Amino acid sequence: MLLTTNPANIIFGIDPTLFASILFVLTYLLIITEWLNRAIIALAAACLMVLGGVLTQEAAVQGIDFNTLGLLTGMMVIVGITKNCGVFQYLAIWSAKKVNADPWGILVMLVMVTAILSALLDNVTTVLLIAPVTLLITDALKISAYPYLFAEIFASNIGGSATLIGDPPNIMIGSAVGLSFNDFLFNLAPITLIILPLTLIPIYLIWGRKLNSSPEHRQQVMNYQELEAITDVRLLKQSLFVISLVLLGFILGHDYHLQPATVAMSGAALLLVLNNLTQNAEEQSKTVHKSFCEVEWITIFFFIGLFIVVYGLESTGILETIAHWILGKTNNDLTATAIAIMWVSAIASALVDNIPFVATMIPLIESMQSSFGSPEQIMPLWWSLALGSCLGGNGSLIGASANLIVAGFAERAGQPIRFLPFMLIAFPLMLLSILISSIYLYFRYL
Amino acid sequence: MSAASIMDPNPTVLKPSDKISKAALYIMQHRYRSLPVVDNDGCYMGIFGVNCLLRLVLPRAAIMEQGLETVPFIHETLADLHSRLKDVEDKPITICMHDEIETVPPDYPLVETLLLLYRTKCSIPVVETDSCKLLGMISYWDAGEKILSA
Repeated sequence: MLLTTNPANIIFGIDPTLFASILFVLTYLLIITEWLNRAIIALAAACLMVLGGVLTQEAAVQGIDFNTLGLLTGMMVIVGITKNCGVFQYLAIWSAKKVNADPWGILVMLVMVTAILSALLDNVTTVLLIAPVTLLITDALKISAYPYLFAEIFASNIGGSATLIGDPPNIMIGSAVGLSFNDFLFNLAPITLIILPLTLIPIYLIWGRKLNSSPEHRQQVMNYQELEAITDVRLLKQSLFVISLVLLGFILGHDYHLQPATVAMSGAALLLVLNNLTQNAEEQSKTVHKSFCEVEWITIFFFIGLFIVVYGLESTGILETIAHWILGKTNNDLTATAIAIMWVSAIASALVDNIPFVATMIPLIESMQSSFGSPEQIMPLWWSLALGSCLGGNGSLIGASANLIVAGFAERAGQPIRFLPFMLIAFPLMLLSILISSIYLYFRYL
Repeated sequence: MSAASIMDPNPTVLKPSDKISKAALYIMQHRYRSLPVVDNDGCYMGIFGVNCLLRLVLPRAAIMEQGLETVPFIHETLADLHSRLKDVEDKPITICMHDEIETVPPDYPLVETLLLLYRTKCSIPVVETDSCKLLGMISYWDAGEKILSA
């Protein structure tokens, strides 16, 4: 892809390639140090790309992937409205009671619920909804919430990697390459079904076998009336109807040239209509305001800024140069390149935010296409990037937004998840999942 | 006129080492809504009140920030709630006192003080500017009494 930019002249006495590179590296460093909110950093850097002359305003707007933004925003609105009916609490309590409030059984069930919801909704929302119920249950059982929250972090990232809409890196990759919901489902979901149960084995050996609770405490959980968690039956019906339509749209839409953003936004619009239909103007104003507040605007503006920064860097041709350098190192070998992308993505995603990493890798991999031939031939590289960046998020507490959300929640609950103790167990577990993914990738595609 | 003109200069106080059981009994017997907690040097540390007791008997997942917004599926008896309180009754009151309640200096403007009282909906500690020393408390009753008798 590219370019509608006018060739940039010398900027402040600096070569445009050098200017864009310095700006890009500075942006990365500032995001890592968290000196300023990441959305502010990305937006300021994007403005500098335009003000500095690397991009024109038109080119900057062209660099923004509105399909990603639309998909994220639409799903955030849908989930924001749906959560008010209590269905997520219902699911968590129902699953706990299905195993007779057995502590290990509950952990397995909550992991499954988290993984499934993370595959269909965004990870942050999922853990925000499941973590409080987890604490409620573990408090009732008089056991530590730590193993549960740890396992849920893993489940959210593993589940999120299974679908197009599960994790932001997949949304970005799907949008840039034009991959459908089914492409992700058929290629990534099978391996997540293997990784998830395998991840539970070490969790069982470390914590699971020591999880015990008295019959009285288990009875307390069994006394919860999950049906009463549903606080708005009408909203539940509306939400389930719309989510079903949206999922159907994701599955069938690609064949009808329906972009995921159109599907998600149409779902959000329909749910807003249904939710506000019986309200007067004043009530509607309040409800709509509340619904739009559910959108994580920090994430949206972060994406906008980041897309422009990466597009600016791409326009200088430096990413193409790096791509050729990498191919030179791997001797233009697809297998070596795919495995290298997966492992580098995983380790990088464990240590830095995977969103800017993936945003940078997308044009880089696109540049490799000419060396390998058709777009079909570089498909393993996209799956490598998706698996590496999504599963890599499990490697440390800062690897994914959902991890930080759970850590913040655990801190407030008085059961803090510390950076190093978490990483000591999580990083090897993440490497195990990448090893399994590498084997899968090798035998299926290479 | 300032905050000092409407404060109670001799409020009943609790010590940080006081146990929850003792403090609970005391505030229930005297029908206090809240009491300031001060250390041996008279330094203000926070507020302990009936709201703290409610916090101790409710499920933690429901009262914490970003916790459960509603819990209609929980059916607990008064005995269940009491047993939750019993779990912590021997712990010091500092585990649940509010330490983020806004304080005012004695020379704080009167109307501004009343506005703060109106907005925070709880008694305001008056604390010495250059130290943490508690000088008094301003409750709705103190303010109302002073205004009506003026």
